[in-house]
Amino acid sequence: MPPRQYLVVFAQTHEDFRVPELRSVAELYGFPLTIPHDFDKSRPFGVLALDQEEHARFLARRCILIKAVYEFYASGRSYEELHEQNRSSRNLWEKYIPETSFKFVVNGYNHSISKARQREVIEDFSYMGFMGKIDLVSPEITMGYFEEYRDRDIHGTTSQKHEGAAVFREAFFGRLLEQGSARSLIKMFDVKKRQYFGNTSMEAEISLLMANQTLASPGKLIYDPFIGTGSLAYTTAHFGAFVFGSDIDGRQMRGKETKPGILRAATQYGVRERILDLCTFDITRNPWRCGGLFDCDHHRSSVVPPIRLPHRNPARKRHHTGICDQLRHPFAREDQPYLPPTKPYELSALAADLVVLARYLLNPGGRLVFFLPTVIDEYKELDLDSMLCDGMEVVRELAAGFRCLITIRKSTSVAYPPPTFDPQVAHGGSGSSGIDHDGEDASPASPVHAHVPAHRDFREKYFQGFKPKKPSSEEFDT
Amino acid sequence: MVRLITHNLLACHAKGCTTNNYPLKFSNVKLALREADFNPDFLRGFLPRIEWDALVQASRERCSTTDLLKQLHHVLLETHIDEGSMTCPNCGHVYPISNGIPNMLLAEHEIG
Ligand SMILES: C[S@@+](CC[C@H](N)C(=O)[O-])C[C@H]1O[C@@H](n2cnc3c(N)ncnc32)[C@H](O)[C@@H]1O
Ligand SMILES: [Zn+2]
Repeated sequence: MPPRQYLVVFAQTHEDFRVPELRSVAELYGFPLTIPHDFDKSRPFGVLALDQEEHARFLARRCILIKAVYEFYASGRSYEELHEQNRSSRNLWEKYIPETSFKFVVNGYNHSISKARQREVIEDFSYMGFMGKIDLVSPEITMGYFEEYRDRDIHGTTSQKHEGAAVFREAFFGRLLEQGSARSLIKMFDVKKRQYFGNTSMEAEISLLMANQTLASPGKLIYDPFIGTGSLAYTTAHFGAFVFGSDIDGRQMRGKETKPGILRAATQYGVRERILDLCTFDITRNPWRCGGLFDCDHHRSSVVPPIRLPHRNPARKRHHTGICDQLRHPFAREDQPYLPPTKPYELSALAADLVVLARYLLNPGGRLVFFLPTVIDEYKELDLDSMLCDGMEVVRELAAGFRCLITIRKSTSVAYPPPTFDPQVAHGGSGSSGIDHDGEDASPASPVHAHVPAHRDFREKYFQGFKPKKPSSEEFDT
Repeated sequence: MVRLITHNLLACHAKGCTTNNYPLKFSNVKLALREADFNPDFLRGFLPRIEWDALVQASRERCSTTDLLKQLHHVLLETHIDEGSMTCPNCGHVYPISNGIPNMLLAEHEIG
């Protein structure tokens, strides 16, 4: 069958995720997807050509940002254009003429359409000559008509035809194929209704969008080394993956009751059995016996969620004995007062080390998905280069507010050693060697180090409110 | 929790402890068997990573003959250690397990 066109109606949120989500879901189900060059991610409507109707259904069932998918019949910058195109699409809809029950829905985007005007719009389609009965409750087919306007503020309700209205942009028409069923997961994973959550818990929609970037599906093994309260464990396990989690702070995973909080929430979501295990350790001092664990046949993937500026040293000197006592006592519970590490790890160096760690822990084809806090204005592709290493390639990067969601794939089957997480030695790719981790051991400047990644010293910038650097002090001193 | 699949993947990582640091020895364990969904694909993908001697040691008599994957599933995924500890055969470091979560943290002097 030649490719058919499908009209995708997106939810009006997280527009930066629209295309990346389409791509990852296509990858997950293994079908080709070409995003048209004129696809405008800022608009809630997109027309895609797909080989099979089933592919459109996969998108509708898995993409969190899809409200509905329609078989595409026509679009137009004017009313006439739309109807002309719809007439020429007759072969697509003529089979519904004789006896299919139907209904029409009319929607405005940035614009509400009055009841009277809706009736007019529907009447304008009367040339289609549908003879089946109109059934508003359970029709066999639903025809969708969408009018897109440019700006909500300029226009209110109108009963006028849109011609001449400067803000009208485009209209779309098609047959409903499937409502987006993944959107309802946002409600299901609502943090407020979760048995266990904490102040690091991630908003449901983001944790679902991230789960889609990991290509979570049955039989895959996903590792979240900063699992915290488990936000990503629930959504990835919901899509069928097995999840392994660890965190430096056991209290984050446990909460206050005897049964660990993550397991309580996982039980609530029916994914308890897919949480393989939880462990307490510092990812920079990890007990993994070998690499190549979290990926196999491009199935498994690994997740590193928002890096919360983790810390290098597990304890400061003065806490030394406390930590030791706790660890020496075989039955010490680590939900007793925990002394968080205090030495910061410069973010770009940490990110580079985590990429090297992922290369070690993943199987070939496995993925590393993580949020990198960054200053978007300063963000350049080079930032990623500074944390890449041989055998790891960027699949996609997408900016979302102050963060950038990065997906990296292990493209090698060569076995590499784990990183040493030594601040003196940098492990990243070309640009990262010699990065000054703590501000103490800067290496001599050289051309490869000339670019400073935008996420470098993120925390300092954050607290300064990302103001551009003040002119150097010379102007004021002396 | 701690399933034997996890136990099979954890080694002592204290400073300088690089030989004979695996498998960790269980002691004072509270064992539980919990049914889990059988996923042959997942198991097959995992087989190359299994350290067989360690698994046999940890599960002893548990492996019999019939359907090997089913047996493995039972041993690796349905056998849980909820309480107890794991001790490094080399340096003697004790990693406690509480409510199914092993504490693999090291003290500062144990960090390489
Ligand atoms: C932003 S939170 C993750 C939140 C998580 N997605 C959730 O749902 O709660 C970062 C987590 O990383 C942990 N963490 C920080 N540094 C770490 C390290 N070096 N090793 C392991 N975990 C670390 C923190 O304890 C915290 O729980
Ligand atoms: Zn040891």
